[in-house]
Amino acid sequence: MFLPWGTRAQMREGVHDELEFHIAMAAAELVASGWNAFDADVEARRRFGDIEYTESYCSAEDLRRQREKRRMTAFDELFRDLRYTVRTLSRAPAFTLIVLCTLALGIGANTAIFSVVRAVLLEPLPFPAADRLVRVWHENTSTDIRKGAVSEPDFLDWRRESKLAESMGGYFFADGMTAIDLTGDGPPENVSAALVGEGLFETLRTQPMLGRAIGAEDQLAGRNRVVMLGYGIWENRYGSAPDIIGRRITLNSEPFTVIGVMPRGFTYPSDGPLSVWVPLSVFGPDDIGRSRGSRFLSVVARLKPGVSQAQFEAEMNGVASRLASTYTANAGWETVSLESVRESIVGNVQRPLSLLLGAVALVLLITCVNVASLLLTRGSTRQRELAVRAALGAGRRRIVRQLLTESLTLALLGGALGALLAFLALRTLASSGVAGLPRGSDVTLDGSVLAYTLGISLLSGLLFGVVPTMRVAGASFEGALRAGGRGSVGKSGNRLRSGLVVAQVALAVILITGAGLTTKSLLRLLAVDMGFNPRNALVISMAVPDEFHEPPEAANRYYESILQAIRAGPGVRAVGSVRDLPTRGNGEMWKPDAVGSPLQPDQSPAAQLHHVSSDFFKAMEIPLRSGRYFAATDRRGAPTVLLVNEEFARRFWPGEDATGKSLRSGDATISIVGVVGNVRQRGPAEAVEPTIYIHAAQNFRSRMNIVVRTDGEPTAIANSARQAVWSVNKDQTISSVATLEETIGRAVSRPRLLASLLVLFGVLGLTLGVIGIYGVLAFAVTQRRQEIGVRVALGATPRSVLGMILGQGLRLSAAGVVVGIAGAAALAGTMQAVLFNVPAIDAVTFVQTIAVLMGAALLASWIPARRALAIDPAAALRAD
Amino acid sequence: MTREPLPLLQGTVDVLILKALAWAPMHGYGISIWIRQRANDDLAVEDAALYQALHRLERKGWVESEWGISENNRRAKFYAIGKAGRRQLRSEVVELRRYFEALFRVLDTA
Repeated sequence: MFLPWGTRAQMREGVHDELEFHIAMAAAELVASGWNAFDADVEARRRFGDIEYTESYCSAEDLRRQREKRRMTAFDELFRDLRYTVRTLSRAPAFTLIVLCTLALGIGANTAIFSVVRAVLLEPLPFPAADRLVRVWHENTSTDIRKGAVSEPDFLDWRRESKLAESMGGYFFADGMTAIDLTGDGPPENVSAALVGEGLFETLRTQPMLGRAIGAEDQLAGRNRVVMLGYGIWENRYGSAPDIIGRRITLNSEPFTVIGVMPRGFTYPSDGPLSVWVPLSVFGPDDIGRSRGSRFLSVVARLKPGVSQAQFEAEMNGVASRLASTYTANAGWETVSLESVRESIVGNVQRPLSLLLGAVALVLLITCVNVASLLLTRGSTRQRELAVRAALGAGRRRIVRQLLTESLTLALLGGALGALLAFLALRTLASSGVAGLPRGSDVTLDGSVLAYTLGISLLSGLLFGVVPTMRVAGASFEGALRAGGRGSVGKSGNRLRSGLVVAQVALAVILITGAGLTTKSLLRLLAVDMGFNPRNALVISMAVPDEFHEPPEAANRYYESILQAIRAGPGVRAVGSVRDLPTRGNGEMWKPDAVGSPLQPDQSPAAQLHHVSSDFFKAMEIPLRSGRYFAATDRRGAPTVLLVNEEFARRFWPGEDATGKSLRSGDATISIVGVVGNVRQRGPAEAVEPTIYIHAAQNFRSRMNIVVRTDGEPTAIANSARQAVWSVNKDQTISSVATLEETIGRAVSRPRLLASLLVLFGVLGLTLGVIGIYGVLAFAVTQRRQEIGVRVALGATPRSVLGMILGQGLRLSAAGVVVGIAGAAALAGTMQAVLFNVPAIDAVTFVQTIAVLMGAALLASWIPARRALAIDPAAALRAD
Repeated sequence: MTREPLPLLQGTVDVLILKALAWAPMHGYGISIWIRQRANDDLAVEDAALYQALHRLERKGWVESEWGISENNRRAKFYAIGKAGRRQLRSEVVELRRYFEALFRVLDTA
């Protein structure tokens, strides 16, 4: 259609003319049959009908037709642009490949990290109205316990007295500690379990997928052998049986009835998979103490609508302080501390994840800058082609649109490759620690993640597409046509490209600094002396089965015979056992009454109490500072003895030897027979706590983490050790066998993941930055061929030519480094929170970063500089 | 001419216009003359309805328009039927025939 697009008024005028023609013809016909001219016109108009309405109806139709046509044309043009784009891109395969790879890396990294962030931080929690759920901790300011567990009597009082909470629930769960032996229907397994106290599921309100949740009536004695299954165990062990409800399964050698199955992804209160939920009342006061002093419950409350955390906290503080003044066991426990359930689940991963999201955003920015600068380089060689198109009648808008189509096509293709890359990356990440994040098992590349990928792809396309487009929009094509074959970018083009390089280097500096800081922090973390030797030791985790608990001597005999059986194996130097390994549990809490300590009883800190076997310290290689280790003579019936760590001795009897001192427990006085070295029980980044060790033979605990000190590679004896256990009891379930290093290593798996990802992104940023510097200089050398030729012809030395090009590269990089360091310093506050023992503004790291970047910049400048040297002045001057 | 012309059934204007244009390209006035002659003045196509239909048909892509010079040397808008228009004409004729045949099968049995 060659008609130019008309306005509404033009349309109306056209219709008017058309209708007037008709009326004139009709009138003429009437005149021919004898009417006078005036009457004929009136009659013709009368016969026509509603002229006014017809005019507006017709012009409206025309307008609609034009709009539809215009849309079709736009579509046509887009299609033509796309075809043209595919042609141009396939004519420059190297360029296209580099751009696509760069984009795939940038977008892929963003997609992968975003999918993790979405699953962990953004997905709603699996509870209805989760924003009203808060965790309630018992607080004891005098002993500095902020997040204390709650005893059952206290919890029941809280529940009864709170008016602001709609409901309150309690549970007992500790990762790796609350586990139950599951037998029958397959191999015996030690499965993770949560012990559900009063009101938990009423408070959480999450509905089971099948059956019902544990309720108040399930806590009653005689009716409490019921169990809820997690989705994973239901799927894997019971083949997703739809008729599982009502089935009997065997837990700790007792029959339990399955009453419910939780939906996929519901693992509360565990971060990882959770197999079963059973009523807390299954474990009587003999298993778990129910006095006001035994604090073991975690409490979650649902606030009434409109109640603020502060109001609830004030109410609960009132309740707690009343209880504290009523019961001696509650002395000091005068307040509570609150935390939203969301915070309690994702609180400590929020910052590292946000940091990673920021880092990949920087990578994407660098990617965009890089691609923009590549397009700019190409744009200047394409200047002539575009000028020809303009001369042939393509409007400036049309050319701009063509260029944008090209950028967006590149971005979308890059995004598709990026999504693929992210898919592969996630599979790798899944095996290397993302699964260890809360809700990490929910990480997937689904529709919303892919929508995000599409979004950032388009955004990047616009971002890197707009720069070369701006140049075209402002360029004069006549100039380009006249400038001969080489095409040229003016001064402004060079400035733009230099600016892009500076930006790129600056962004890379920020990334590398972050990577350097977290790596250094990780190394410091790994270098921390844990107080024992983690190398060449194997850990076997199990528990003495219930049937051996009576009589008590039998339990001890069983415990000892397991240790002896392993000890007898080849390559074993020492075997010891402990209830809680360092970083995997903190023992039991005991607030000791130390005889002869200058500390007042209410000032004395709580201590960890650990149950160990005789050779535990030898197996761990924890040094003896004074006195003696435990011995076989410290058995049941013999006087109870204790060991303490140095920290305990320092706190309770400063400047004195603790060996020979004693602790009071009720009427009994227990003597301390030795002092051992400090162990960082809570992890390498945590402070050492006062610790007491007691012999398991004198105070039996069924859970055993058996540490086997070996002569060589610990995994070599894993099989014989397992066989040794089964030689004592072939039905003994073993929950895990791993090296001590692996077991401890889990404590640093998050810092390790953070550091390795940041290093990866840093290297990515650096590589892209170097490519950017190289590209700009290589282009500049090509562009300045003639100038360099003239200089050489006029007697410039190779050294001065080399210096000129290198100087240009280093100047740009230096500017980038300055901006980047300033940026890194500005982000120091954010970084500090994830660093261990490293200041966020760390001079050494900054200097290292600068050295790395300037070195890389030198390298990137070197090749173009050499190329400049090779220019033959005669040829350069003759060219063109 | 004492008989009153019949008012048109809904939608038949379209098919009449298409039929006229299938004969030859013509302007709106020409179409109205053409229909009047064929129908011996029995069918009254109101001019307003004719033009509304023409513009509607053009939007639907069944006819195309072009400004030209009329037989008496005046600027007029000429319409021509397109390929899609011919297809539409054929199918509408078939539809109408089926409709009236069915109608009269019923009416004639009485």
